[in-house]
Amino acid sequence: MTKYIIKRLIAMMITLFIIISLSFFAIRLIPGDIAGEGSSPIIREALIQRYHLDKSLGEQYAIFIKNFLSFDFGESITLYPRRPVFAIIIDKIPLTLQLNLFSLALTIPVGLACGIIAALRKNTIVDHAISTMVVFNVSVPSFIFASILQYIFAYKLGWFPFLLELDSNFSLSKFVSMILPILALSFGGIATITRYMRAELFEALNSEYMLLSKSKGLSQTQSTLRHAIRNSFIPLCNIIIPMFMGLLGGSMVVENIFGIPGIGSLAAGSIQTSDYYLTIAVLFFYSLIGLISMLLVDISYGIVDPRIRMGGKSNE
Amino acid sequence: MSKKDQKIPVQEPLNLEQIMNENISADMFEIVSNTTIQDAQIEGEAIGFFKDAWLRFKQNKAAIVGAVIIIAIVFMAIFGPMFSKHGYRDQHTSFGALPPRIPILEDFGICDGSIEMDLFEADLETYGDAIMRIKEEYIFTFKGKEIPKVIADVNAYTLREAEDYYFVFGTDDIGRDLFVRLWRGTRISLLIGVVSVIINCIIGVVYGSISGYYGGTIDMILQRITEILGSVPFLVMSILFIMVLGAGVASFILVLVLTGWIGMSRMIRAQFYRYKGYEYVMAARTMGVSDFTIIFRHILPNAIGPIITQATFAVPAAIFSEAFLSYLGLGVQAPEPSIGVLLSEGQKVLTTTPHLTLFPALIVSALMLAFNMFGNGLRDAFDPRMRGL
Repeated sequence: MTKYIIKRLIAMMITLFIIISLSFFAIRLIPGDIAGEGSSPIIREALIQRYHLDKSLGEQYAIFIKNFLSFDFGESITLYPRRPVFAIIIDKIPLTLQLNLFSLALTIPVGLACGIIAALRKNTIVDHAISTMVVFNVSVPSFIFASILQYIFAYKLGWFPFLLELDSNFSLSKFVSMILPILALSFGGIATITRYMRAELFEALNSEYMLLSKSKGLSQTQSTLRHAIRNSFIPLCNIIIPMFMGLLGGSMVVENIFGIPGIGSLAAGSIQTSDYYLTIAVLFFYSLIGLISMLLVDISYGIVDPRIRMGGKSNE
Repeated sequence: MSKKDQKIPVQEPLNLEQIMNENISADMFEIVSNTTIQDAQIEGEAIGFFKDAWLRFKQNKAAIVGAVIIIAIVFMAIFGPMFSKHGYRDQHTSFGALPPRIPILEDFGICDGSIEMDLFEADLETYGDAIMRIKEEYIFTFKGKEIPKVIADVNAYTLREAEDYYFVFGTDDIGRDLFVRLWRGTRISLLIGVVSVIINCIIGVVYGSISGYYGGTIDMILQRITEILGSVPFLVMSILFIMVLGAGVASFILVLVLTGWIGMSRMIRAQFYRYKGYEYVMAARTMGVSDFTIIFRHILPNAIGPIITQATFAVPAAIFSEAFLSYLGLGVQAPEPSIGVLLSEGQKVLTTTPHLTLFPALIVSALMLAFNMFGNGLRDAFDPRMRGL
């Protein structure tokens, strides 16, 4: 197991290295001169000093990597002038995390419940209704749900605030203003979990160990609860953690729609104001979360299902 | 003991003559039945792979509906802009933000070009004919004064002297016809989706075949490459590339191709692992068939079903990515519209002109829904074992 984790960690390092390199070349290749073309010689000198433009490309690259690994992403230029990028990101994380965790807290139980009901009542009206909902939710993008919810429930009916309440403390009214974004983020995830759960549970219900447990004298409910549902959880841990990553991506747009000042708005804002260092730092943050979640998936998979641990490879 | 010792004589060739000479007279036989055996002649044509799939596909109502929606949207994306006399860049500054107005439907009060306005009762006369109906009258108290106000539906077309025009989906804030822009945007989005999927299929098939067929070291190296490429989050890769390349149709396609082929190549590789051990492949190899022929002629056709299915699912995913990046401000640049650009523009003015969000949202949802239903149908048709998953 240790060997396996080390292997995964090395792979993760390589990926991280590639992402940093990509960022470096992106910064260099973006049209326009970093030092500013028409700026005065003094400013120019200062900028060249700060970004080490007088050194060779190799040295610049080394400095860039060193800075990234020590979480020194430089300063924001246009969006939050002169503030260190790292501090800005740290500032924004809690809200985004809150939103996504709430969304997961809604997604997982609802998704599981729908999936279990659909599998147990396969080919009935309930199942068809749930399956229709799944296709619908998988197809319609989260930002469209966000727009619809915002228009109907916030604007027309006025049940919820239009934008997020910007109270630094967590309160009930803030939670109420978070309901619409949470809903918009959750629909897709619910559908994904439902689909997996339904397929897995249905397969488990028809398996031979169910027959065995029933022949041992367990009732249908007992064998379903203790054997079928338990076994169908295994592949789920493979989708729930990456789903968190997907949520983070989805929340980029949803945050913009509801005016939530989280990482997502930061990303969009930095892109729109060409604040490249900020953008790259946000992307680095996303990659880090993505890679860590992938590592967690691999490890948790090995723990939940020891058969996978032995192989260690993701082949077949 | 005895049986083993009794050596069975080495089989001698049957002596036909001896058998013939043995006395078997005809009357030792009796006629059992006089009827001739009548096999029903097999009628009907042979059902090939695609015919078989089609037979299953056409029973799936949702998939048929999906296919029809896709065809309709593709048709409109190609020919839609021709139905309107306005160009996609034509601005009618005086007709800004007009709500949708559709002939025939307007007589029933739906899409009649009206907007709900909150007016002073005293001002009603200045609006004249434009007032279509008064919904509510109420008293507004301001600094102790009571001012009568009304909520009325006002015909924006009469108000702006645009009675001769029918903007079926309305106009945006600088008076461009949304109908034309939307179908043009659909065209761009579909183009991005379809072209990137086709390129992904080609790269994925070639890469996956080589990796799966040759196996061993080649496979190991190729798989490490895809693993590393695939581990860079799509979002990160795409934003970095678009920042460098600038937003445009070509750079969107490039971004979607960068990592998009990996899924396809994995699937193809798995297919090759499954089929390359089959006897018919061994037979082909023994007969000296070249690797190229074995790969593309003998093994790959087995994967045609999954390839088509996966490609179908990839199109809405590509359209989604395009819309998503547009929301982040990385959309296809003006004046060319795409669904994503229209949506993110519409979102900014959601409360005042909801139709600018409504129609793009409807089209993109319908498109994605249709592709998913169509894809589900294809998957069930090509591989009935996957049904209901």
